Amino acid sequence: MNYVRKEIKMLEIKNLHARIAEDGTEIIRGLNLTVKPGEVAAIMGPNGSGKSTLSYILSGREDYEVTEGEILFNGENILELDPAERAAKGVFLAFQYPVEIPGVATMQFLKVAMNEQRKARGEAELTTPDFIRRVKEAADKLKIDQAMLRRPLNVGFSGGEKKRAEILQMALLEPNLCILDETDSGLDIDALKIVADGVNALKSPDRATIVITHYQRLLDYIVPDTVHVLYKGQIIRSGDKSLALQLEENGYADIIGEAA
Amino acid sequence: MPAVQETIDQVRGIDIDQYKYGFETVIEVDKAPKGLSEDIIRFISAKKQEPEWMLEWRLDAYKRWLTMEEPTWARVDYPKIDFNDIYYYAAPKNVTGPTSLDEVDPELLKTYEKLGIPLREQEILAGVKTSKVAVDAVFDSVSVVTTFKEELKKAGVIFMSISEAIREHPDLIKKYLGSVVPTSDNYYATLNAAVFTDGSFVFVPKGVRCPMELSTYFRINEKNTGQFERTLIIAEEGAYVSYLEGCTAPQRDENQLHAAVVELVALDDAEIKYSTVQNWFPGDAQGKGGIYNFVTKRGDCRGARSKISWTQVETGSAITWKYPSCILRGDDSRGEFYSIAVSNGHQQIDSGTKMIHLGKNTSSRIISKGISAGKSNNTYRGQVSIHRRAENARNFTNCDSLLIGDKCGAHTVPYIDVKNASAKIEHEATTSKISDDQKFYVMQRGIPEEEAIALIVNGFVKEVIQELPMEFAVEAQKLIGISLEGSVG
Amino acid sequence: MNMQTTPRLTAAESALVEAFSGQIGQLPGNGAVIGSRDRLLDDLKKSGLPTRRIESWHYTDLKTLLRSLPATAPASAIDPIAPVLEGSTVLSVLQGAATSEASIDGVEVTTYHDQLVDGSAAASLTALDKDDAIGRINGSFVRDGFALNVPANTEVAQPIELQALHASGQIHTRFPATFGAASKATIVERHQSVTEGDAFVSSISDVVLEDGAEVTWIILQQQGATDTHLGQIRIKLGTEAKLWLFVVNAGGKLVRQELRIEVEGEGAELTLRGVNLLGGGSHTDVTLVLGHNVPNTNSTEIIRNVVFDKASGVFQGMIRVAPDAQKTDAKMACNTLLLSDDADFSAKPELEIFADDVICGHGATVADIDRNHLFYLMARGVPENKARAMLVNAFVAEIVEELEDEALVEALEAIISTWLEKHA
Repeated sequence: MNYVRKEIKMLEIKNLHARIAEDGTEIIRGLNLTVKPGEVAAIMGPNGSGKSTLSYILSGREDYEVTEGEILFNGENILELDPAERAAKGVFLAFQYPVEIPGVATMQFLKVAMNEQRKARGEAELTTPDFIRRVKEAADKLKIDQAMLRRPLNVGFSGGEKKRAEILQMALLEPNLCILDETDSGLDIDALKIVADGVNALKSPDRATIVITHYQRLLDYIVPDTVHVLYKGQIIRSGDKSLALQLEENGYADIIGEAA
Repeated sequence: MPAVQETIDQVRGIDIDQYKYGFETVIEVDKAPKGLSEDIIRFISAKKQEPEWMLEWRLDAYKRWLTMEEPTWARVDYPKIDFNDIYYYAAPKNVTGPTSLDEVDPELLKTYEKLGIPLREQEILAGVKTSKVAVDAVFDSVSVVTTFKEELKKAGVIFMSISEAIREHPDLIKKYLGSVVPTSDNYYATLNAAVFTDGSFVFVPKGVRCPMELSTYFRINEKNTGQFERTLIIAEEGAYVSYLEGCTAPQRDENQLHAAVVELVALDDAEIKYSTVQNWFPGDAQGKGGIYNFVTKRGDCRGARSKISWTQVETGSAITWKYPSCILRGDDSRGEFYSIAVSNGHQQIDSGTKMIHLGKNTSSRIISKGISAGKSNNTYRGQVSIHRRAENARNFTNCDSLLIGDKCGAHTVPYIDVKNASAKIEHEATTSKISDDQKFYVMQRGIPEEEAIALIVNGFVKEVIQELPMEFAVEAQKLIGISLEGSVG
Repeated sequence: MNMQTTPRLTAAESALVEAFSGQIGQLPGNGAVIGSRDRLLDDLKKSGLPTRRIESWHYTDLKTLLRSLPATAPASAIDPIAPVLEGSTVLSVLQGAATSEASIDGVEVTTYHDQLVDGSAAASLTALDKDDAIGRINGSFVRDGFALNVPANTEVAQPIELQALHASGQIHTRFPATFGAASKATIVERHQSVTEGDAFVSSISDVVLEDGAEVTWIILQQQGATDTHLGQIRIKLGTEAKLWLFVVNAGGKLVRQELRIEVEGEGAELTLRGVNLLGGGSHTDVTLVLGHNVPNTNSTEIIRNVVFDKASGVFQGMIRVAPDAQKTDAKMACNTLLLSDDADFSAKPELEIFADDVICGHGATVADIDRNHLFYLMARGVPENKARAMLVNAFVAEIVEELEDEALVEALEAIISTWLEKHA
């Protein structure tokens, strides 16, 4: 189903330039991108093109410095917001490598995250039974074992479990913009399907998704409305899903060649 | 792996308890009377034709030394040293100072040949090794010859004996000598300041990358002779120099004292790499004889973005007391310490480093590999100190100890002092023996036990060997093999 | 007395000497005990309080740090408090004096006062080495405490809480405990100040685990912000004995907690966990000396430190493996979160190894909160201050949760989070 509502812009990135704060290396060099509510946008590109950096900059990681341009989220410039404030506005990043945090119980973490976001939006906190019910429902859908939820956050999770746990958080936090950073890496085909189903189930007219990936494989399961090729910190080509197939067949060389 | 094969061959070819460099050279010498007094210091200073200020500096140090006490905190044990039973000055008679190679006593040249030192420039040039090495050779108390001086001069690099430098470059000496290791620093450093007889001086001016490796070989030959050399290396802004010292001594029943001081100064963007292969006589199988190696080495990263790197392979000496250190004063400066310390027989090693973080964004890295065998004791003692204003300091330390046999000891004593919350310090240490699994695996492939051990030990120390200049990496590996000879019971 | 041979005493040293002479005839003990007290005080007088020149006191220069002593205070009315673990049998020592004897099924309980009087305590009034200032101070002044003797094959059903509470003054207590072969018990050794006034406290526990005994021993130090606490636990582990030792320091101005452990029986196992919460101007030093003296023993030690404000923390951990103690497996870690620029932390993890077939290691880290962790939590909408608090809590909770007893985990976590809420 195509939910894209053409008239509204959810995310608008204008002439974005950004560099690594520590050593000044420029990674994003004049990037423009628009994503509309309901849209599934795929961002593809070779290694080192700036894909993960873009996801970090959108979610507010301190290690990067925006030197020029702006990021408008539902019309508001979010560059000055910290990661938690952006999350409360509905930006969700599913990490490529979710960190293990020993000592932090997964359930406790989920509850704090959900309630803090609700608080920031002026909503009432969840009651404990309500919270547990929600987690159980979402976990069942993603075939996540309750035992996994009793462990510390991501600690000892397998690669596939970590990715599923990310999608679980996404389901529970109900974001407006989901950014999936290489969610397919390290997943076998069965796990990939579970994760993709989880993502697809969350599709709605009010929610946009950015799928960052290196390969077209994931896009067989999460079908994009638009495909953008990122290279050397810029979007050098945009198109529909046929662009992904073209990349799959011919590789990046042609497009890169054209752009150069 | 040719280097490993060579180690194995070496191990095979050497008898137990045979110190390769234990021969003595019969040469006519010029000695000062035994003992230590103001007169002896005046004698040394006069022999060196030193200016008056240098004599004063020495006498000040001597007066201070008289008030000091020998340190006892290290895990080493030795009978009290009689400082009046030592010759403080001994020089080969025909050498009054550095001369051209042709004038050097042929006996002396033979000695260095036996030691495998590439003293003759043509030998090096004819050799397979690609890079050239300039050598300053110190025999007992004096520097006998410095090679490649002319070529270095063209590049603007000064490389000469410190005695010469005191006469020829008094301004540099006055500015830098004692500026890193003050005369009052510690008991042995103060003694050295009073009686040092020779050593090397290196000055690499602004922006110059020293065109070749510089090297000093130290040799204690005379009986009852202390060797007190002093080395001073200065790298001005943006300069680079790599320096290697090697040490040997004849096999003697009595203990000999070696109390050196090395000072390094790196200004903005300069880099000094200092490598040591120390193979003083370790004493015999009964623990008799051997060198007391009480050395103070310190580098001052005085300038921003400067870097000092110490690499040491310590296989010799009866007792080693040595902590090459870095003062990370300049912002963004970096200190490194890579060490292999091998003890066998009755050797005692107490060695390590200090990384003193004073500037912002300073970083340090310590990799120490200790190998104990026989009845030896091997201690790593190190300090990482992050001062209050040292924002964003980083340190990584790894000390691994390997025990071969159940009569030896391996000890690790790190001191970690952090006074700034932005610091990130990681320290890890392990002690183990060569794993039976590893040994079995290697032996199952047809390699005899002793060779299997040499192979595994070489793997254990590889991270440090890699830091040595190429020419010396092979030599160091051989030395380690020889030092561990006889350790498999 | 020959004045010339007596070194100049500091104010605190003189106060100790005066306190001793002021109590002559009042300190309990038979002839042997008095003899031991005199010797210990004499040694203390001769050596003085330790300075940084003494290696084992390098980071805690007691001579400088201990400026003065509070006056000896009269007994004041203190009431016992609820035990940390519900259902515990509480043995209270209030203002340094044991309350009338409580009885515990199957456990012999005597007051230490009685052991001093009958002289059975004399042999343990020793200094462990020439630098053992705590052994000397406590041995000179100790008045009371409780002695536990758990007979062989006894499983003590309820936890026992040794509850040492005090107001201001000088408090010296002692807790000898012997656990017979194959016995089981959980002990909480708790030191807490109940008023604002300054206190000077010393306490030693002499713990013996005979063959196959299994013991969980918790030390909970919650002294007041101006108190000095000198604690020591001396432990001997017999064959196949298993000890869980959990140490929490969450108070005190000047604290030295010494853990002196000798593993003396094959197959013995030690699990040591420590949580040190430092705030204000506290100087807290945890010093471990652990001897693996026989073959086939193992130990793990994890110490977590959280340092706020102007506090200064020390951890010294020496693992010594004796010759022939083959197959020793000992691993130690000391991790510190340094959370203020005015705070400092020093660590000296030491290995001294004389046997070759061993696996020993230690790690030490000092750092701020992991930025990746912080970002992850914030990216999920947790505000920064809350995310930091969660991570600090998690840093210590991780080792508390290793305890198998859930009630114990909850009790300790409550103490820790209460402390953190107050200081963070």
